[in-house]
Amino acid sequence: MTTDSSPTMPASSSGPRPITPWLKTYRQLLRSSGTRAAELRAALLGLTIAAALQGLALACLLPLFSSVLPDPDWPAVWTWLAVMTALMGLATVARWRAQGFDFDGHMAAATHELRTRLGEQLRRMPLERLQDKRTGEVSSTLLGNVDENLNYLLTVVNLILGAIVTPLVAALATLFVDWRMGLILLLIFPTILPLYRWRRPIFARNMRRLAETHQRINGDILEYTQGLPVLRAARCAGERAASLQEGFEELRLVQSRAQRAGNRPKVLIASLVELGLLLVVAVGVTWAIAGTLDVAVLAALLVMVSRFAEPLANFVNYTAILELIETALERIEALLAIEPLPQRTPTAVPTEFDIAFSGVTFGYAQGDRPVIRDLDAELPARRMTALVGPSGSGKSTLTRLLMRHADPQRGTVAIGGVDVRAIPPETLNGLISVVFQDVYLFDDTVLANIRMARPDASDAEVEAAARAARCLDFIERLPQGWDTPLGDIGGRLSGGERQRISIARALLKQAPIVVLDEPTAALDTESERSVQEAIDALVRDKTVIVIAHRLSTIAGADAILVLEDGRLVEQGRHADLLAAGRRYRAMWNAQQRAKAWHLIETEPDRDTLPPTDSQTIPNSAASEPR
Amino acid sequence: MHTDREKSEPDDKSPWAVMQPVRGQIRFAMALAGLGTFLSLVALAMLAWVIHRLIEAPGDWPWTPMFGVLVCTVLAYLLRINSFDQSHYAAFRLEQILRTRLSEHLARVSLGEIQRIGAGALAKVIQDDVKELHVFVADSTPLYARAYAGPAITLIALLWLDWRLALAAVAVLALGFVAMSLAMRDRAELVRRYHAARERVSAAVVEFVQAMPVVRTFDSGTDTFGRFQHALDAYLGFLTHWYREAGLSARLGMAVLNPMPTLAILLWFGAWLGWRESLDFSTWLAVLLIGTGMAEAMMPLMSLYHLIDKAKLSIDRIDEVMNTPELPQVAPEGARRPQDASLVFEGVGFRYDADGEEAVADLSFTAAPGTVTALVGPSGAGKTTVARLIPRFWDVTAGRVLVGGVDVREMRAEDLMGQVSFVFQDTFLFAGSIAENIRLGVPDASQEAVEAAARAAQAHAFIEALPQGYETRAGERGIFLSGGQRQRITIARAILQDRPILVLDEATAFADPENELALVAALSQLMRGKTVILVAHRLSTIRDADQILVLDRGRLAELGRHDDLIAHGGLYARLWHGYEQAQAWMLHPDTPPSAHAPSPARLAEMPS
Repeated sequence: MTTDSSPTMPASSSGPRPITPWLKTYRQLLRSSGTRAAELRAALLGLTIAAALQGLALACLLPLFSSVLPDPDWPAVWTWLAVMTALMGLATVARWRAQGFDFDGHMAAATHELRTRLGEQLRRMPLERLQDKRTGEVSSTLLGNVDENLNYLLTVVNLILGAIVTPLVAALATLFVDWRMGLILLLIFPTILPLYRWRRPIFARNMRRLAETHQRINGDILEYTQGLPVLRAARCAGERAASLQEGFEELRLVQSRAQRAGNRPKVLIASLVELGLLLVVAVGVTWAIAGTLDVAVLAALLVMVSRFAEPLANFVNYTAILELIETALERIEALLAIEPLPQRTPTAVPTEFDIAFSGVTFGYAQGDRPVIRDLDAELPARRMTALVGPSGSGKSTLTRLLMRHADPQRGTVAIGGVDVRAIPPETLNGLISVVFQDVYLFDDTVLANIRMARPDASDAEVEAAARAARCLDFIERLPQGWDTPLGDIGGRLSGGERQRISIARALLKQAPIVVLDEPTAALDTESERSVQEAIDALVRDKTVIVIAHRLSTIAGADAILVLEDGRLVEQGRHADLLAAGRRYRAMWNAQQRAKAWHLIETEPDRDTLPPTDSQTIPNSAASEPR
Repeated sequence: MHTDREKSEPDDKSPWAVMQPVRGQIRFAMALAGLGTFLSLVALAMLAWVIHRLIEAPGDWPWTPMFGVLVCTVLAYLLRINSFDQSHYAAFRLEQILRTRLSEHLARVSLGEIQRIGAGALAKVIQDDVKELHVFVADSTPLYARAYAGPAITLIALLWLDWRLALAAVAVLALGFVAMSLAMRDRAELVRRYHAARERVSAAVVEFVQAMPVVRTFDSGTDTFGRFQHALDAYLGFLTHWYREAGLSARLGMAVLNPMPTLAILLWFGAWLGWRESLDFSTWLAVLLIGTGMAEAMMPLMSLYHLIDKAKLSIDRIDEVMNTPELPQVAPEGARRPQDASLVFEGVGFRYDADGEEAVADLSFTAAPGTVTALVGPSGAGKTTVARLIPRFWDVTAGRVLVGGVDVREMRAEDLMGQVSFVFQDTFLFAGSIAENIRLGVPDASQEAVEAAARAAQAHAFIEALPQGYETRAGERGIFLSGGQRQRITIARAILQDRPILVLDEATAFADPENELALVAALSQLMRGKTVILVAHRLSTIRDADQILVLDRGRLAELGRHDDLIAHGGLYARLWHGYEQAQAWMLHPDTPPSAHAPSPARLAEMPS
């Protein structure tokens, strides 16, 4: 059953090489069509039968013409015409039914299922893999275009079968009428098929070169559009445009070369078809003159063969589309093959919320060296721990390991004594609230954006979270209040307002652990103040991990971990670390000096003054939430 | 035939218009394809002639028609290949022309427009949308010629051979045409809805992937992320509906526009004619050879329409970019040069949309040479807009902006840019060495000058520490530099450019404490001796500014020096107070800070 309905030829005629990949593609196709695999198999079988019936119908021309020439035998003529029409009718019915796969919505349903499955996979796969730029892009393209690739499947298969199965069946039938001509047909047409594989490497090589050029040009174009303000200010936009245009010229040359190179096999295959046609004419005429071939049979063969020429010549073009489908299928399989992070058994749910990193070493898959090296740290429950260090020192990576975007290569991360690898993913997600520097709001209403943290929250709870996050005043000022779609007014919310919505979301979630990753770094002063108030509400009574650039913000932390180059170089409370006079002290001093630095030099020695400007650091009462 | 289409649709711009720059070559390609089609039909007719000769004179070699078959087949084949080559080369040329035009156009469009559309979107138009045209221009044009020329030539030949059989073939074609038209009914509307549904899916996919870190934190594992699923469901619903709706007529069209029905009709009708009256076998054979393909030739039209629809979307986006207005340039003879390093706003008003509210209203101020003017105000007050009116991101809608005593609109762009340098919030480095990045706009600066600028920008030390020093590649494809380091490189660039007026849009975010210190030092070097317009998002840096403009909703609310404004007790005083509080904010889990942490007041007294 499997091999019969495959969109390929019996092995005898076209050799094993083109068969194997097609068989593989066929299997991948059935796998990717999920619950509609049976319908797909039936449709492909239907198309094959239709193509075969069409070949038989064409072969009816042979006896038909023989009964017209030299003297018409009318009853035989009507009989063969009837047989031929019946075969055509059956072919039409078979094809009609097969096309039901498209028109009855099975195809749409299959791609829908596949998309859902891919979407599920994106949710399961390690987040680190998804955030790797390349994988991320491939995944989104795949998810977006999966139907673009597969929708034409039936159309293409139908055309390819018309180019292969129909001529083959007609040629086989010809064997019974005139074995010599039948043999010639079999030799000419099916032997062309393997040639398409020969075209493939050339095609692939050119495609790769073209893709590289495109990618380079793409980078140049993006750089140009992004850099235009700077380029214009530097008065060299024209010059850059000129070098960009050289790139365009180069692209055209590569394209033209690829066109010429890609043409050669195409030309050759098409030539063989045309030559085959001419050969049939020449040999047929020779035998007809010698008297060993009926002119009627020759006439019928000419009508048949003239029907083959077009589909066969186009065959190579169709296979290009088939290659697209093959590539898409391979990518889909590769994406589906990515394993989610392994779940330790037995699973456990932590009841305490202290966090422990022990002997953790971690490097990103695409990086060459570890970003966290042999790190041990204990973060007490219901206390605040600050992570400080220069950019690239591994602060954010540490929080990502806690949230299990990836697993460390060595060591363990534990919450309440439970290895995070043993905590079911949904449970782990529920334990941690994160406030990032970049806020992601969904193209939905304000209400939905907050409520997504806990879909079953009551209106009162959502409102309470919004109030605590200082969102109420601006939400009520929005044109449609709570039901304002954020997509429409995206730009009208300030950074601080967006951040407060994300904090309301985190508040509603009521997770025992809160991660703050530079939540106010990108805000202006005015927004920062209200966001700070919102954060004060969020961190109450939680295990808090905070990353903040302004050290005075975290001076009150119960513990400060100083990271450098992935290692824990210092830890302790603010006062102890200052007294120790090492890394933390140096950072603190630098920041104090920056704060007191006068950008505008009115006196030459101003910048050497010690940072004692008490006005910039008012008393602590002002920072208390009221 | 595309010229006809164009004339018939003067209002709705035809997608064929995009081929204008390579029209000649495309026409040539289509002519070759048409001629090729003609010759392959002649070759088929010659085949019938071969048989005719064999029947008439058995045993004689039919040299002439056989030679004819050979010549016509080879020629038709060469023409076809050539036609595709021509259309492809034309398409590649068109890509190059369109990309060049787009990039040149962007160099003249106002920067505000570029920002509105977005650099990423523009790059996508130049790269992807132009690429999308390929199938339409390169592949479909020869097919178009064949799809129209084939049936037309066939019909003429058939009429000449036997008008009765010709009519039968036309009847089949007409039936197929009707079915196809039925399948295409309401197509425009359906295609529009299809693309709308697809776009929603794409948006949902992008959101789904980009927001995955957020999605995961709210992922309870019970059901698929709802918003993504909704978009998919809607798309499935629409697609299923469309397929069902068009199913019957589309399948009918495909069944009829297949060579088989034509072949059957021509066979039956021909045989019946031969039985009733008389039909020459060779004529019948010629009709069968030529006529069977007539309906088939129409088939590609169906998929061609689809391709053109797709191309249309891209063409629209390309046109949209090409139609963005260019910044008006002063005539060379009327151009004036700036006289000094002063900057004056005279009753400046600006609105983004003609009917929108004023982003800047009636703003007047003077910045004397060598002074520092700070722009402050709550978010959305128009600080950045004011700064961007100086380099003509947009032109003012009222009043005027004078640089060196001359209206910026009366200056050549080069003169304006030669007088003013800009340090923007987003640091942008080009692919190229760090030295090249610093040297941008001053290509003949010596290595010493570059290094001196870097030193002044506090960037020399870290650049020297890089693997290849100043020759290390930066930018997208270069090494990793922190935000603070990138900022200092752009400051070095501005120092090297050394222009009398400096517009500075202060960064809102600092990388880490040590970078912050270096950055502040670099900025003060840059500002030395310049007329400075500083957009301040943080207030610490502006206490010594010669004047502070306090903006509120596009209007000048207060103007003065720091101490005066504080004493005044207005908006600035309020902003300053909030700023001080934000600076002093200290996170604490649940215990009051005094319990175990030093209070900020005490922190300040710590030795440093």
